[in-house]
Amino acid sequence: MSTPLAEVLDGQHAAELRKAARALLKQPLLLAGGAYADEFRLVRRHASDLREWFDRNTGWSLQVDAETARLGKIPAHLADATHSAREATRSAAPFTRRRYVLLCLALAALERGEAQIALGRLADQVVLDAADPQLAATGIQFTLDRRDERLDLAAVVRLLLGLGVLRRVAGDEEAYVSGAGDVLYDVERRVLAGLLATRRGPSTIRAATLDERLVGLTAETALDSDELRFRAMRRSLTRRLLDDPVLYYDELTDAELGYLTRQRGFLTARITELTGLVAEVRAEGIAMVDPDDDLTDLRMPESGTHGHVTLLLAEYLTRAEGPVVSTADLERRVAGLAAEHGGFWAKSAREPGAEGELVEQAVSRLAALGLVARTPDGVVPRPALARYAVGETVVLEPRTVGTAQVPAQRKAHQR
Amino acid sequence: MDMTSPRPAGPPDGYGPFAHLTAPNVLLYRSVMRAFLVAKERFAVHLRPEDVYAALPAAVRPGELEGVVGALDKLVEWGNLRADPDTGRVTAVEDFYRKRYIYQLTREGEAAEEALSAYDEALGRRGALQAVALHDIVTQLRALLVLAAEEAPDPAKTHLALDGLASRFGALADNARAFMGSLQRTIDLHDVGEEVFLAYKDQLIQYLERFIQDLITLGGRIARLILELEEGGRIDLLLRAAAAREAADATPQEATYAEQAAYERWAGRWAGLAAWFLSRDGRESQARLLRGRALGAVPQLLAVVRSLNERRAGRSDRSADFRTLARWFAEAPDDESRHRLWRTAFGLYPARHLTVDAETLAARAARPDPASTPWADAEPLRISPQLRRTGSYERRGKPRKVEDRQEARRRLAEVAVKQAAEIAAARARLVTDGVTRLSGLGELDPVSFRLFLQLLGDALATWRPGMTHTVATSNDGSMEIRLTALADGSAAEVLTPGGIFRGPDHTIEIIDLAEGDDGL
Repeated sequence: MSTPLAEVLDGQHAAELRKAARALLKQPLLLAGGAYADEFRLVRRHASDLREWFDRNTGWSLQVDAETARLGKIPAHLADATHSAREATRSAAPFTRRRYVLLCLALAALERGEAQIALGRLADQVVLDAADPQLAATGIQFTLDRRDERLDLAAVVRLLLGLGVLRRVAGDEEAYVSGAGDVLYDVERRVLAGLLATRRGPSTIRAATLDERLVGLTAETALDSDELRFRAMRRSLTRRLLDDPVLYYDELTDAELGYLTRQRGFLTARITELTGLVAEVRAEGIAMVDPDDDLTDLRMPESGTHGHVTLLLAEYLTRAEGPVVSTADLERRVAGLAAEHGGFWAKSAREPGAEGELVEQAVSRLAALGLVARTPDGVVPRPALARYAVGETVVLEPRTVGTAQVPAQRKAHQR
Repeated sequence: MDMTSPRPAGPPDGYGPFAHLTAPNVLLYRSVMRAFLVAKERFAVHLRPEDVYAALPAAVRPGELEGVVGALDKLVEWGNLRADPDTGRVTAVEDFYRKRYIYQLTREGEAAEEALSAYDEALGRRGALQAVALHDIVTQLRALLVLAAEEAPDPAKTHLALDGLASRFGALADNARAFMGSLQRTIDLHDVGEEVFLAYKDQLIQYLERFIQDLITLGGRIARLILELEEGGRIDLLLRAAAAREAADATPQEATYAEQAAYERWAGRWAGLAAWFLSRDGRESQARLLRGRALGAVPQLLAVVRSLNERRAGRSDRSADFRTLARWFAEAPDDESRHRLWRTAFGLYPARHLTVDAETLAARAARPDPASTPWADAEPLRISPQLRRTGSYERRGKPRKVEDRQEARRRLAEVAVKQAAEIAAARARLVTDGVTRLSGLGELDPVSFRLFLQLLGDALATWRPGMTHTVATSNDGSMEIRLTALADGSAAEVLTPGGIFRGPDHTIEIIDLAEGDDGL
């Protein structure tokens, strides 16, 4: 018996919608040209369904025109410092204070400017804007005549090129950095116009501290009825489930926890329906896990030296006694691990003194994935870290051939 | 349309446009202004520095284009000229820096020139385009065509028609210049009140649309008429007739010279008119430029309306937003705060999720953990021992990078070559060199046997009841098989490594058609 055509079409529709939604969650700004052209077409085709879903469940706006698709993501909680702007090169170094400031000044200049800009001209305008007394009062200043300053500007421009705000017409940034040339760009005003994702324009906010400012950027209108309050809670919880690796119950207010307890099945089912993520519900919280191992920027487990060290340290941390493991402990452990596994690691990781960097990388990754928390004294394992490990008794059960080969002290399990 | 107030120009004494008369480079300045007047006579709306440079007499022309740009900027400062951003797109860095502005006479500068040249024309112009003028031009051109068809055109009528054409046209070009000037100011909102703008915007857009329509339909008609007149030099005769009539008043000693001068003036005007409506020598016609400008103005005006509305609705100015953010980033106490600010303000972060594999999922579906199970007690995600030991493994799920398929392709190519060789060998093996019996085929290797079965299948597919003989060609057209049933009831056996193939015996002939000598 053949499947009815309508059913096939429904299935195809659902699969496309899922692909489009995942693309937007991974890349909130999609361009018609470039690497994500296929995903963009899907988003465009299903724009109205997606717009309705995101608006109803998260309060995020979706703008789609012929060139760009932009999901206006507003984070549900403002404390997450693990999503930095990063350099567009292999090193992917997080942006520094100077680069962030440069980025904003460059955007301000582009916003005022014309349809084309040369890097040299952009630099001139940035230097002019940087002379603003309020900005100068913070002690930051730019002259852009030193090489390292030019490197900063080039990194900013490359980020904008990657986002599609700028398009290179002639020249290259290397030449600018070395002072030998200049670069000409087209400015994509539509992309530029959609770059800020805030509820309110920063210039309309008068708050003095960073936390108040962040709240100001994301503040909802007054929640003056139960219905609005419930809607706000649903949106906030859905945002966290969509964005974050793990939602721990102890981070929620009583009202939120109450709402989540009542609505858990409904909330997670809606997300599963749209994205294919599966809810892993535990006593301590919920993780929406991804069977496709694709809807993420960081992975665990991951291959490669840093992924390996992360895995081994995670194993060590699950076994750790006491609530806090000091960084020094971890470094000693890495030194020990290097003797055993170092042969598989990158050469630079085996050199003496590399432990600090390796521990930092591993802890950053675990913290970003919600598996550990950092404190001034060191690292505190969080409950979800245990999803990669089992108790010793289970390890010793001769369940499979694979288990028998593993040393008894191992906790992270093999397939 | 006159919604703009005059721009304050020059020093407060109001004689800024005459300042160049006392400047050291007075000759250059005068020549530059002269170039604009000449261009105006040819109905050019605006000039780029290169145009001015080319138009300057050799005696005052600076060695570099920069000299002219300097002079132009000085004249802009005094109020003789106005500079508008040149919005044409460029493709090279140098052009970006060089082509920044297009220049045109300001009313003040023009007035100064007019005063200096003792011409006395009115200053007041309205920044509007007279679409009516286009109709008049068509009419005048038609009249000229009629005149040109005559054996000896009436000089008086010719002169009158040309004069009418020139004056109508002069008005159109002047208005076009003023219009574009005020349009630019309107779009930039330099000195236009918001209320004024909103009050006029509908009218303005309607006006622009009507004008664009006229320019498209009438512009094409005018261009055709011009070409028709220029055909066979007909217009030249008319221009000469008009020039002769104009020179008739000259004193006898001036007569020859005056006629030539008048003719050149008329020819210049005609060239200007033609350049307005026809794109020639790689230069776009003024009409086309104007049309582009007017067309572009509509969305720009709408954008202004939008930005005004946003301003009214309390939306902030984006540039100010970014400057504020720059300050916030600078004031943030540490890197962590800055990363948080980046994430919140730009919302460009990707979603981040833990992974799960298919086996774990299947196991959970079969035996779900209750929601109250702590992570530590729940069924874990199993990690490959290989990964745990070495830090690398065959990735499950989707590969994240484009794989290098060179190796696989080479292997495929090798396999293909090997298969081709096997098949060639199998075919060679099967070819019977004349008629033989099925039972005489002997033992076949697997590849040959497969090929043989295919051929036999092709042949048997053509059997119909009562047939004793058939000829069939293999599907790929490379081999032919002729099969004849035997009446003696004997059986044939074909040996293969996989077993024995049995059946009634036939005579068989297999021919390799691909070899080209199918006579065999």
